[in-house]
This record gives sequence, C-alpha cells and structure tokens, in this order.
Amino acid sequence: MSGSLKLIALIEKHADPIARSWAKDVRKNPRTASYHEKPEEILIPLALHFYDNFRKMFYAEKPAEVSREFFAQYAEEQYAAKIPLHEAIYALILMRRHIWLYAEFQVIFITAVEQKQAVDSLVRTILMFDYAITFISQRYQERIRGELDENLGILNMIRLESPLGTRLAPYRTAIMTTLLVGSFLLTYYYHAVAGSNVIFTHLFYIPIVLGGIWWKRKGIVIAAVLGVFLVLSHLVFLQGVPLSDDVVRAFMFLVIGAVVAFLSEGITRAEEIYRLRTA
Amino acid sequence: MYMGMKLIDLVETHAEQISRQWAKNVRKNPFTPYYHNVPEEKLVPQGVRFYEKFRSLFMEPKPVEASEGYFARYAEESYREGVPLHEALYALILMRRQIWLYAEFQVLFFTAVEQNLAVESITRTILMFDYAVYFISRKYRERMKLEWFESPNT
Repeated sequence: MSGSLKLIALIEKHADPIARSWAKDVRKNPRTASYHEKPEEILIPLALHFYDNFRKMFYAEKPAEVSREFFAQYAEEQYAAKIPLHEAIYALILMRRHIWLYAEFQVIFITAVEQKQAVDSLVRTILMFDYAITFISQRYQERIRGELDENLGILNMIRLESPLGTRLAPYRTAIMTTLLVGSFLLTYYYHAVAGSNVIFTHLFYIPIVLGGIWWKRKGIVIAAVLGVFLVLSHLVFLQGVPLSDDVVRAFMFLVIGAVVAFLSEGITRAEEIYRLRTA
Repeated sequence: MYMGMKLIDLVETHAEQISRQWAKNVRKNPFTPYYHNVPEEKLVPQGVRFYEKFRSLFMEPKPVEASEGYFARYAEESYREGVPLHEALYALILMRRQIWLYAEFQVLFFTAVEQNLAVESITRTILMFDYAVYFISRKYRERMKLEWFESPNT
C-alpha cells in the first residue's frame, strides 16, 4: 500500500500543476475538440475536483459505490455543458494520463519492490477508471433518454404510450374500428347520396397515420383497406366520373401509410437503443 | 517489447479458455445484464476474435489507426444487436481484465526486471483500451445521430 500512498501524496501535492498541464492538453487535443474553446479557468477546477477526490475513490473498500456518485456528477456537468460522451470520457482518460506523465511519477517507483507497488497502483487506478467509464456512459444514456422522452412526449401520447395514453391503449382496435366505419359512411354518403367526389378523403389520413404509428408495417393494411374501399365505392356509385383521381388518392394512402409505418419503426428502434436495460 | 511478446503469447495460446471465462463472467456480471441471456456459444467466438486480434493491435506502431477500424466494427455490431453503450464498454473492459485474471498472467511477471516490464505491458494495454473506449463511444453517437436523421459530425 506504500506505493499507492506515494501516488496519492504525489497527486495531492502537485494537483495544481497536473491540472494545469491537463487543461493545456485537453484544449488542444484533437479528440477533445469541445474543450478547445473552454477557458483554462473553467477547466482547471474540474481537474482539481477530480484529483481532490482521488484518495477517497482510490482507497474505498467498495470503489464502485463511492466512484458512482462522483462520476455520475461529472457526467451530469459535462452533459449540461454539451460535451459529447466520447470527449468527456477521453478528457477523463487524459486526467489519468497526466498523473502518469507528471515527471515525478517516473521517479517514485524505482526499486524492484517499488516496481511491484507500481503495478498494484496502476491496476487499482485502472479499476477506478473502468467504473468511471461505465458510470459516465450510463448516466449520459439516462440523460439522453430523459431528453428523448421529453421530445417524444406528444408522439408518445399519440402512440398511447405516455402515462395519459396508456389507459386508452387497450381501446386501439375499438378506436380504429370507429374511425374506419366513419370513413366508410363518409364515402358512402358522398359517393352514393351526394354523388360527389369532393376531397373528403383528407380525413382518411387520420386512421392511416394512426395505423402506421400504432401497428407499424401491419398498419399499412388500414391504408390498403381504405384505398380499396374508395375505389370500389367509386366503381359502384360514380360510374360516370373518371376513376383516376380516386386511384391516385388510394395510391397516396399506401405511400403515406408506408412512410409513417417505417418512420414509426425507426423511431421505436432508435428509442430501444437508448432505453436502459438494467437488471 | 519482450514482455509484451510474453503477454501476447499467453493471450493467443489460451484465447479459447480466456474467452470462455470471459463469457461466463459477462453472463452473470451485474454491470452487463444485456449479456445474461446471450448463449455462451455466441459470446465465446466474440472473445476469441478479440484475443486473436490482440497481437496486431498490441504490436502496431500506430495503435490509433489500427484499433479504430476494429473497435468501430465492434461498436457497429453491438449497436445493431441493441447492446446499451455502457454494457458494450464494460464487456470489453472485462475482456481485458480476463487476461490479467487468467492464472498464468500472475506467473509471467515474476522477477524484478519483469516487474518493470509488467508496468510497460499494462501501460500499453491500457493505451489500447483508452482508444477503444473513445472509438466505441464515438461510433455509438454517430449511429444514434443517424437514427435521428442528424449529421453525425454535429
């Protein structure tokens, strides 16, 4: 443990120059571009805070628990400062490297016994950083997920997946059936009763879009059913009117239904990546 | 570099055993719950591929360029399978730890001179993993941004 003590003593004694050399590095390192414009006066306290907490995390009996809090806080701050995750992690890696690069570090492990201590010391530091990387990336994902939930709030409500909409989810089929029956009646009224081909079909996009959002690819069936019904109704009730307009409309139903379905699938898949699968 | 060779030889000779131990570990480690239901037969080849690639990554005079392609592919595969980033990273960290935990590693660095070389060897391995973590998290970000129709460079 005396090797570790030497390391800790070195860090605590020289925290300021190590933090300064880190700040200089991070401001010009090509892998930490987001830090290039940050003034040293902001960066140095960040590193000092880390070096000040180094002893506590290094000697913790349960390093995972102790370091989780510190690195989660680090992640929060970097996320709020709009630093991309890979740069936030790399900046932290540079903090570790700057301890090792610091001239006196080379001198503290000279003898054979000390070399053994150096190995122990390195391994323990690495263990701390292994947790750091995990906790920081985990917290970033939590924050991204939170932001996503916020941004997708309205969409989730339409998908009947938000807390408000969840209560309505079992009624999806009933809602869709009502909308379809409404569309059929509307078509019948305009084609058979009014004998008109006015653009009432714009209303059909409501069940088509909802079908795509709720059932994704399977939802395209809704667009197909409405398209077929529209064309058949035209053939039966509007025999003197050219069919081409309704064929184009039916085709557009399919296009819009497919686009919404694929977008909905893409969003769901992307969301799944962000969702944490913690045990 | 002699000690590096010893380490590489160990990894190559025992790639299969180390991979099996890694697979067991990752399937029950609380930090990698995604892998708990992945069968060992699927995980072991993943470990073997990494340990077989270890020599070229370790010995490469330009480790940054060499490791970028490999770890970007690792990130692509993990992302496609839906592995959360922090678990993909921790699984890789466990691959590294598994080398050190492997019984014979303890015997490799016995004498005083070898202790000195052990420091070098560990430092070099860590350097490789520093780049790995950077490339993997960057690739995940690019992929996430593409999913959201944003430019990956923003």
